[in-house]
Amino acid sequence: MISIQKIVFLGILSLSILGSSCQDSEKVDFSTQIKPILNNKCITCHGGVKKNGGFSLLFEEEAMAITESGQPAIIRGDAANSEFIKRLHEDDLELRMPYEKAKLSDEEIDLLTRWIDQGAEWGEHWAYSLPEKVEVPSITSAASFAPEIASDFIKNDIDSFVLARLNEKGLAPNPAAEKNIIARRLALDITGLPPSEELLQKFQEDNISYETLVDQLIAQKNYGEKWATWWLDLARYADSKGYEKDIARSIWRYRDWVIDAFNKDLPYDQFTKEQLAGDLLPEPSTDQLIATAFHRNTMNNDEGGTDDEEYRIAAVIDRTNTTFEVWQSTTIGCVQCHSHPYDPFKHEEYYKLMAFFNTSQDEDTPDEGPILKFYNKTQQQEVDKVLQWVNTYGDKKEQKYYKDFLQFTEPVYKAHFFKEFDNSVYDDHASVVFWDDGNLIIEEAYTNKASFVYLNYRSHYNGTKMTIREKDANGPILAQFTINKEKNRTTSQFPLKNIEKKTNIYIETQNDAVAPEVNILNVYWVGFIPDMPGKNQTGWSEVNSAFIKSLNADTETLPILAENPEYMKRTTQLFDRGSWLTKTDTVEPGTPESLNAWNQDWSQDRLGLANWIVDKKNPLTARTLVNRVWHQIYGRGIVSTIEDIGSQSDPPSHPALLDWLALRFMNEHNWSTKALIKEIVMSGTYRQSSKSTPEMYRIDPENELYARGPRIRLGAEQIRDQALAVSGLLSDKMYGPGVMPPQPAGVWQTVYNGADWVESKGEDRYRRGIYTYLKRTSPYPSFLTFDAGSREVCMIRRTPTNTPLQALVTLNDPVYLEASHQLAKKTQVANNVDESITQSYERATFKEITPARLDALKELYQTSLSEFKQNEEASKLFLPFEKQPTPELGALTVVANAIMNLDEFLTKT
Amino acid sequence: MKDIVEKLIQEKLAREVQAKTRRHFIKSCAQGMGGLALSSIFMGCDPLNTPPKKTAMAFSERDLNPLATLAPPLAPKVKSVIYLHMAGAPSQLEMFDYKPELHKYDGQDCPQSLLEGKKFAFIKGTPKLMGPQADFKQEGESGNWVSNFMPHFKNVVDDVAFLKAVHTDQFNHGPAQLFMHTGSARLGRPSIGAWATYGLGSENQNLPGFVVLTSGGNTPDAGKSVWGSGFLPSVYQGVQCRSKGDPVLYIEDPDGITRDLKKSTIDAINKINKEEYAKYADPEILARINQYEMAYRMQIAVPEVMNINSEPKYIQQMYGVEPGKESFANNCLLARKLVEDGVRFVQLFDWGWDTHGNIREGSIDMGLRNKCREIDRPITALIMDLKQRGLLDDTLIVWGGEFGRTPMQENRGNTKMAYKGRDHHGDAFTMWMAGGGIKKGASHGKTDDIGFSGIEGQVSVHDVHATILHLLGFNHEEFTHEFQGRNFRLTDVEGDIIKEILA
Repeated sequence: MISIQKIVFLGILSLSILGSSCQDSEKVDFSTQIKPILNNKCITCHGGVKKNGGFSLLFEEEAMAITESGQPAIIRGDAANSEFIKRLHEDDLELRMPYEKAKLSDEEIDLLTRWIDQGAEWGEHWAYSLPEKVEVPSITSAASFAPEIASDFIKNDIDSFVLARLNEKGLAPNPAAEKNIIARRLALDITGLPPSEELLQKFQEDNISYETLVDQLIAQKNYGEKWATWWLDLARYADSKGYEKDIARSIWRYRDWVIDAFNKDLPYDQFTKEQLAGDLLPEPSTDQLIATAFHRNTMNNDEGGTDDEEYRIAAVIDRTNTTFEVWQSTTIGCVQCHSHPYDPFKHEEYYKLMAFFNTSQDEDTPDEGPILKFYNKTQQQEVDKVLQWVNTYGDKKEQKYYKDFLQFTEPVYKAHFFKEFDNSVYDDHASVVFWDDGNLIIEEAYTNKASFVYLNYRSHYNGTKMTIREKDANGPILAQFTINKEKNRTTSQFPLKNIEKKTNIYIETQNDAVAPEVNILNVYWVGFIPDMPGKNQTGWSEVNSAFIKSLNADTETLPILAENPEYMKRTTQLFDRGSWLTKTDTVEPGTPESLNAWNQDWSQDRLGLANWIVDKKNPLTARTLVNRVWHQIYGRGIVSTIEDIGSQSDPPSHPALLDWLALRFMNEHNWSTKALIKEIVMSGTYRQSSKSTPEMYRIDPENELYARGPRIRLGAEQIRDQALAVSGLLSDKMYGPGVMPPQPAGVWQTVYNGADWVESKGEDRYRRGIYTYLKRTSPYPSFLTFDAGSREVCMIRRTPTNTPLQALVTLNDPVYLEASHQLAKKTQVANNVDESITQSYERATFKEITPARLDALKELYQTSLSEFKQNEEASKLFLPFEKQPTPELGALTVVANAIMNLDEFLTKT
Repeated sequence: MKDIVEKLIQEKLAREVQAKTRRHFIKSCAQGMGGLALSSIFMGCDPLNTPPKKTAMAFSERDLNPLATLAPPLAPKVKSVIYLHMAGAPSQLEMFDYKPELHKYDGQDCPQSLLEGKKFAFIKGTPKLMGPQADFKQEGESGNWVSNFMPHFKNVVDDVAFLKAVHTDQFNHGPAQLFMHTGSARLGRPSIGAWATYGLGSENQNLPGFVVLTSGGNTPDAGKSVWGSGFLPSVYQGVQCRSKGDPVLYIEDPDGITRDLKKSTIDAINKINKEEYAKYADPEILARINQYEMAYRMQIAVPEVMNINSEPKYIQQMYGVEPGKESFANNCLLARKLVEDGVRFVQLFDWGWDTHGNIREGSIDMGLRNKCREIDRPITALIMDLKQRGLLDDTLIVWGGEFGRTPMQENRGNTKMAYKGRDHHGDAFTMWMAGGGIKKGASHGKTDDIGFSGIEGQVSVHDVHATILHLLGFNHEEFTHEFQGRNFRLTDVEGDIIKEILA
C-alpha cells in the first residue's frame, strides 16, 4: 500500500510541475485519478440523481452504455472518437461540458483522454474491497531523526505505520508523556474517569507496568459505561419516544445490556448479530431479545391524527439507514429516492435492504408492542407452570408459540388492522371504539385452528354481546359471548369454533341498554392462539387459568424486535422518489452488489443480514469499527470522515494502518474490542506527550501525522463525571431506570403529558452521566451545551465546540458548585492555604502545581476571603449544602471551582 | 472577509512551499522555539514565506475572538437580519395572495391536469378546490392585497416587498425548514444566521452574534439544526434565548458571588490557561481564554437586553407583549432590542401554522385566524418601531414559512376532514422582505388564477438566500467555506439575486 501511494503522490507532483506531455506511457489509475474528476465535475448531472442525455458515470455499465444520442459516450481505446472527450474540447458553450461551468484543466482532460485510450478500465474504489494481508512497514535508515528516537518510540506495530509517514514528512515524534499525564489520559480513554489514587500511585512507583495499568483499567466496570456512552449515540438510545408528544419509554435494560456487552467483551460479530437479529437466533435468551431493542430506539409517533403506517415505515427507514451508518460508514439514506449520487448503490438496492427490516411486528402503536415482559417471581411461577405443561405435551412449534406469546404477546391482530367500520372507529390510540350495533372486519385473518379467541379490551358497561362471524354479517357464527365492565385493559379468552382457512372475520357488538353513539368498548387486539396441548390431561384447566393470569400480569416491559409469522408477512415495494404513498415494484431482501457476496446458507432475514455484515469479506464493517474506536481515542479517524468511508470520504491518513487494524481485529483479535483498544493504547503513538509548538500546529493542525499525543476536550458526560469523581461525590451504582439530577426549572416543556423532571434523591443525584434520563425534545441541558445530542437519530460524531455557554455551565451550574465545595472540603488543610490549594489542584488535574499557578490561585483565594469576610452572609448563600459555612471554605470553594474551569481539567492532555 | 480570503491564499501558498521545504522549515523554526509570546502565535517563521504582519494579526484576532467584526467584501445595505419564520407553513391564500377566481371553483373537483405527477403530503385521489376563507382589500399607496386576518398590517404594507411566487422542492416540514434555513434539505449545512455571523462577526462582543427566539409552545419540526452551524465552527450557531426563567441557562452568578469576584475568578483561570498554552500551543486554549471573557460580559449584557419590562408602557402596548410569558409579541420586541444592540442575526420561530383541518387549532377558518392575530400586531409594531428609531434602513426583515398551502381542501386518506384545511404545497407561496435596500411597496411574482403555480417572477429558496447575502454585502457565489475537499456555499450551485425587490 505504502509504495503504491508513493507512486501516486509522485505522479501528481510531477504532473503539476512538468505538465503531461512526457507521461503518455504511464498507466492512469481509475480510483485515484479519474474517479475524483468524475465525482467533482461530472456526476451532479450524470450520476445517481440526474442522468442528463441518458448518460451516467456512476456505474461502469452505465458509463459505457448507449446514450440518448444512440451512441455510447465512451469508446474504449478511442478517446478521439468518444463524445465524452469531444465535449470537453467543444468551443460552443451550449455543447461544452461541464455545462455552464469552467472548462476542465488541460491536465484533467489529458488524464481522461489517456484513461479512455488505455481502455477506460473501471477500477473499484479502495473502500469496497479489503486486502487479504498488509505488511507492516520496516523503518529504514532514511529516517530524518536519530535512530534512538525510533527505538524509544516504537512500542508495537501501529508505530511502524505512523513512523513511516512521519519519516516521509521529515518529522520526528514527541517523547513519551510523563507518567501522571499518561495515566490520566489512559484512564479517561478507557473508563471515562480519572484514575483512582491507589492505581496511580502503584503505577508512579513502578509497582505495576504500563501494560498492567491498561489491563486493570480495562477490567473495571467503568470501562463498559464509558464505551457504552459512545455506542448509545449510534444506537440513538433515549428514555422517551420522540416526536411531538415525546412520552416516556422504558428501554433502559438495553442501555444496561450494552454496558455489560462491553464489560464482558462480547465479540463484535456477536454483538452485531444480537442487536440486529437476537430474536432470530436459535432459542434466544432474554439478553439476546433485549439486545434487539437497538432498533426499537427508533422514534414512535403518538401524536393524534398521524398514520401508524407512515411512522412504522419511518422507523423501518431509520433502521435501514442507521444499520448502514453504524456498521458500514455509508449514508444509504440518499438511495431512498434515487441511486446514490456518488457511491455504487442502486435505487432498488435500498428497498432490498429495507425489506430485511420491513417484516418486524412493531407498528408505531402507543404501547410499542412487541414488548418483552419481565415477570416478578410470583408471576414467573405461573408462567413456568404453563411452559412446563406445553413442553411436556406440546410439539416444538407449540412450545415456541407459547414461549413467545408469554414473553411478548405476539402475533395478534391489532386494532389498526381492522377495516370497514360501522358504528365503530379507530380512535388513534391503538384501539377501536365500539358503539351499540357496531361492527367491523379483520381482513384475511388466520385463526390457527384455535378453539379460543383472545380479546384485549377495556369495557365501560356490563352485558355487551359480541358476535364473531366468518366472512361477513351473514356468515356462520364462530363465537358469541358477553363482555362485562372492565376498567383496566384486560385479556380474556372466549370459546371459538375452529376453522381451517384464512378468512375475513366479522365482529359485531350489541348493548341495547346503552344509548347510540356511546363508547361501550375499546378493543386493542384480537388473538388466535393455537390450542394449548394436553387438553385431555388432568390439570389442563388449571394451567389454562395460569396462562390467562400470566397474560394479564402487570409487568415491566421493554420494546423488542420480533418477526411476523408467515401469514402476516409484509411485502416490500419500491417507493417512487422516496414517497411511501407511491409504491411500485415488489422486492426481496438483498444486499448491495458492490459489497461482499451473499452466502446462500444465510437465511433471507435480519440474521442473514447480520451474518453478511460480519462476514470477513465485508470491506466496511471492521474498518468502520477500528476507525471509530481510533477516533474516540485520538479525536480524529484514520479516515477523518468517520461518517463516510466511500468515494466521497477523505482519503485515509494511514491507509495501510487502517487495513492492518481491520484485518487484525477480525483475524487475530477475533473481534475483541478490548484487544483492539488495548493495542491502540499500548502504542508509542498513543503514549507520546501532547506538548507542542505553534509551528507544529501550523504544519499539522489536526494531528493527522501523530507527531504528538492526542489533546481533546472531554465529552459532555465525562466533564460532569470527572467533577463528581475528583470531589468524591460520584456514585458507583450501576444500571436501572434513568435518573434526574438537578437541572434548572422550566427546562422541560411538557405540552401534552404530565411528565415532570422529579429531582432524584440520595446517590441517584451523583450517578454517571450515562444514567441521566434523556428526553429527546429536552435533553439534560448542560450535556447539550457540551455537544451531546438529542438522540433522535443515529449520531456518529459529536463535534467538539468551545463556547461561552460552556463556561457558564462549569462556573454557575449548581452541580459544579456542589462538586467544587466538596473538593475544597476534602482538600482543606487547617491553617495552610498553600497546601489546601495545592492538594485541590493536584487532586483535580493529576499534575504538580507550578509556582505561577499557585500564585494565581492564592490571589483568587485572598480576594474571595476578604469578600466573604466582609460579608459573612455571602459565604452562607454560596455554600447552601454546608452546615458550617466559613469564609475560608467559601474562598477555597471559589478556588476549586476555578480549577474545574481550567483548560487542563476540561481536556484530555 | 478580504482578510479571510487573503489568509486562505497565504495558508495555501505556505502549505505548498512547506511541502517542498518541510525539513528546512523545521530546522529554521526550531531555533525560534520556546519563549513564545501570545501575540506571535500565528506569525509564521517560514523564512521562504513570512506572511505580511497585517494578515497574521487578522488571523490571530479571529482565532482569539471568532466573533470579531469583519467588513463584508461588498457595500452592505443592512447590518442585521430579523428572520420571522412561521413554522408549519402559513396559508398564502388567506393572507396575501388573493385569488378571487378560486371562490368560483369552491367545492369543485381539482382538475386532473394539476394533479398529474404531483405529490402531496396527505391529499389523496381527487380533492376539491376551496375558495379563500378570508376577505381581501387593497391597502396603502402600493395597493397590495392584505386579508382581514391581518388588520394592522395595512399600516406597514407600503414598507414591504412581496414575493408571490416562491417555490421549494420539499413538502415535509423538517426537510423544508432545513432547506429554507440552510439551503439543503439534509442535515449538516450551516444556517443563514451562521453564515452571516461567520462572515461578519458580531457588532456587540457581549452578546451572541446569532440569537434564536421561539414561540408557539414548540421548537421547529426540524429541531435545532435549523439554527445550527453545520460544518462551520459551532461558535456561529444560533443561541436560543428564553423569555421565561434565565434568558440563557446558567447566566446568573451563584448566590453570594459578586461580579468582582467572578471577574477575579475568570482572571485566575485565564492566567493559568495562558501558561498552559505556552506548553501545549493548542489554539483551543486561546479560544477558551476568549470564551471565558465573553461569558463574563454576556452575564451582564444578556439579562439586560432580554428584559422587556424596562421598555416604556406605550412600546409594550404597541407590540402587545405579555411580560413573563413566551410569546411572539415578546420576541418581536426582543428582536428590536437585540438588533439595536448590534446582534447580527435574530431568528424567530413561531410554531403552530400547520393548518390541515384535522383539528380546530389547525384549521384554515379558525386556527389560522388566531395565529394571524398573534403576529399581526407585533409585526406591524416591529416595522414601525424600527422605522421610528431609524433602524429599519440597517435591518432586513424576512417573513415566510417553509412552504405554502394548496388551493385544494385537504382530504386526508381520501376522507372528509373535520375542519377546513389545506395541505402542504411548495410550488408557489408568499414571502416578504422589508428594510434596508428593499423596494418599498413592491410585489414581485404572480400565481395562476387559483394560486397553484407561479406564472411569472418565480423565485427559489436559493434566490431568497442570494438576496439576503447580497443585502449583507456578499456575493453569494464567492462566499464559501471549504469542507471535506469541497467549497460549500449557502446557495449550493444555484441562486440569483431578486433584483425586482431591491431599491
